[in-house]
Amino acid sequence: MLDNLRQDFINKTTQLVVVNRELEVVDSDNNLFDISKNSDITDFHPFFFALTTIFDEELQEETFFCVQMEVLGKHYFIDIKTYIGEDGDTLVLILNDLTDHYKTVHQIKQVRNESIINFNISQELNQQLEIQRSFKNKFLANVSHEIRTPLNSIVGFISVLENTEISREQLDVLHIIKDSSKNLVTILDDLMDISKIEAGKLDIKKRRFDFREFVEKLAKTYQIRTDDKRLSFDFELSSKIPRFLVGDHLRINQVIVNLLENALKYTHQGGIKFSVTTSSVNARRIPVTFEVTDTGIGIPKEKLDSIFDSFTQLEKRGLFGGSGLGLSIVKQLTDLLESDLEVKSVEGEGSTFSFTVFMGVSHNQKKEKVAKKKRDKKDLKGAKRPRILLGEDVEVNQLLMMRLFADYGAYSLDIAKNGERVVEYLDRFPYDLVILDLTMPVMDGLDAAVQIRNSSNKKVSKLPIIALTARTSQEEQDAAKEAGMNAYLTKPIDADLLFSTIERLLSRYKRKDKVLEISEEEE
Amino acid sequence: MSVSKKIVLLGHFGVGKSSLLRRFVENTFSDNYVVTIGVHIMKKEVVVDASNKVTLIIWDVEGTDDFTKYRPSYLMGASSFVYVFDASRPVTYGDLKFNLGHLKEKHPNVPVHIIGNKVDLVDADEIKKALEEQEVQHSYLSSAKTGENVEQLFKDVAAQLLENA
Repeated sequence: MLDNLRQDFINKTTQLVVVNRELEVVDSDNNLFDISKNSDITDFHPFFFALTTIFDEELQEETFFCVQMEVLGKHYFIDIKTYIGEDGDTLVLILNDLTDHYKTVHQIKQVRNESIINFNISQELNQQLEIQRSFKNKFLANVSHEIRTPLNSIVGFISVLENTEISREQLDVLHIIKDSSKNLVTILDDLMDISKIEAGKLDIKKRRFDFREFVEKLAKTYQIRTDDKRLSFDFELSSKIPRFLVGDHLRINQVIVNLLENALKYTHQGGIKFSVTTSSVNARRIPVTFEVTDTGIGIPKEKLDSIFDSFTQLEKRGLFGGSGLGLSIVKQLTDLLESDLEVKSVEGEGSTFSFTVFMGVSHNQKKEKVAKKKRDKKDLKGAKRPRILLGEDVEVNQLLMMRLFADYGAYSLDIAKNGERVVEYLDRFPYDLVILDLTMPVMDGLDAAVQIRNSSNKKVSKLPIIALTARTSQEEQDAAKEAGMNAYLTKPIDADLLFSTIERLLSRYKRKDKVLEISEEEE
Repeated sequence: MSVSKKIVLLGHFGVGKSSLLRRFVENTFSDNYVVTIGVHIMKKEVVVDASNKVTLIIWDVEGTDDFTKYRPSYLMGASSFVYVFDASRPVTYGDLKFNLGHLKEKHPNVPVHIIGNKVDLVDADEIKKALEEQEVQHSYLSSAKTGENVEQLFKDVAAQLLENA
């Protein structure tokens, strides 16, 4: 019985071969392969060249696992054991056919290795994409900064000129320059927003706001804009929508403005309808649907899929202008707002864009009374004006700020040309607030802010600090917050925003007498 | 003069060791990745010059990222090592210096040729820079797919073996 079993289970899978030092076959039972006596075993397979080393190094016993052999068109996986014969001049080889076992191992390793390689490749691709994205974002941030710096002077000095005595004709020209400059700022903002969205760095910030006032203001603006273009403007705001909602009004505003601007750009007769409705009432969270309908040029069917891609325009740029970024931002922002942007359009008849955002209903529907204190230059005569210290290295920007502050008249302004000088001035003179440009030689605005916050003089360390910069990236804003700055304003300078921010920070600073936290509304 | 020499192809899995071998011996190439388990051995005679030939017995050993796990029996008796990495997957050459150190320690007298394969997929200058950062000098950047530098690589290995014979 054992002989039969040996025949079935051992002999069929095992072959014994004896070779001499010349690698000639002395004997072979040929259970697996036909290997002729007296033949050179290396002619059978190149593996057997290895036997020379075994003889030379007198290795008594050696095992070679999983040697692949192709014999008569069949693929084998063989374990080969070698023993030096008793005479010392022969080698006994035991060839063990484990093809079935190794085929299973092969299948397992094939799957495992493929998955690891695919993971490596996707990881590498992601890294490459991240490098490219980071390079693009840095490039955009730098270009934006470089363009914003001269724009700051243009926009700022337009404001200064507007407050001087000039003719009606000159004022009209000024407004054209102002509008063009604002368009340029919008394009820069759009570019930066797209790169922020792509980098996943644009967050939705929910806060309570006067929704009805917000929408009505928007409608009022576009009523005027459509009047200028001799278009009709219909506005509908559902009375079911409560006054105070919780949501990201800045991003919602950005979407609506882009849609309305788009409608305005492509509508040459007829009009625009802007409606804000809800399908739900008395809930803690309500869906608010915004819809912008125009009687403009419409969108051809075949282009409906591509209108949300960046740099896509339906008409030749020369005719309508624009960067082609607006709808791309709209789409990406509505995605961020967890809303679906829908578009219906008939070429030559017009388009309707709509999206629905879920917003919280504020528990408090009462409007807080804000005591608005408008400064009158006349009231300031004799009054002690708060002292502001500005850190700014660019001469033209210094000049602009001097003019803006002189016109406003409520504050006294000192200027230091870098962060180091700012810190020196603060040690020597009393100030109420500091404004810092972020990019300055010797010591930049961030380092200066850190030094101010670390000052041993409590009057200095607690001063409100405003960042005023042409850098608009989220990283810069985060860094400013980290450095202890209380507000972040970007160039070109919006004089109204600058002075209202100063006023707010000063009043809070005096009231609380403590270091202010940077808050969303001031970002 | 005619000699036979064993050379061993080493490196991570999926770097193209078997493809290089097939390109060299059979002048064929397939995009399909078929894992090598154990060892696959092929031989080819290389004519170094009019009077000298070397028969290369090339051991294509199962790839691994841990060189300490190579079976000693596979490396035994090797006259030369060819360390292959995938130029398009940094993970396959990130530990090059460490693995070379291990080989040098275990086999101090065996020369090592370093080959960056799949160069058709990458910018060669970037690979050279990455290797420079590791202070490693590569022998060739090759492509089993296009055949670039494959013949030359094995010819140079053969010539060196003949010199040392």
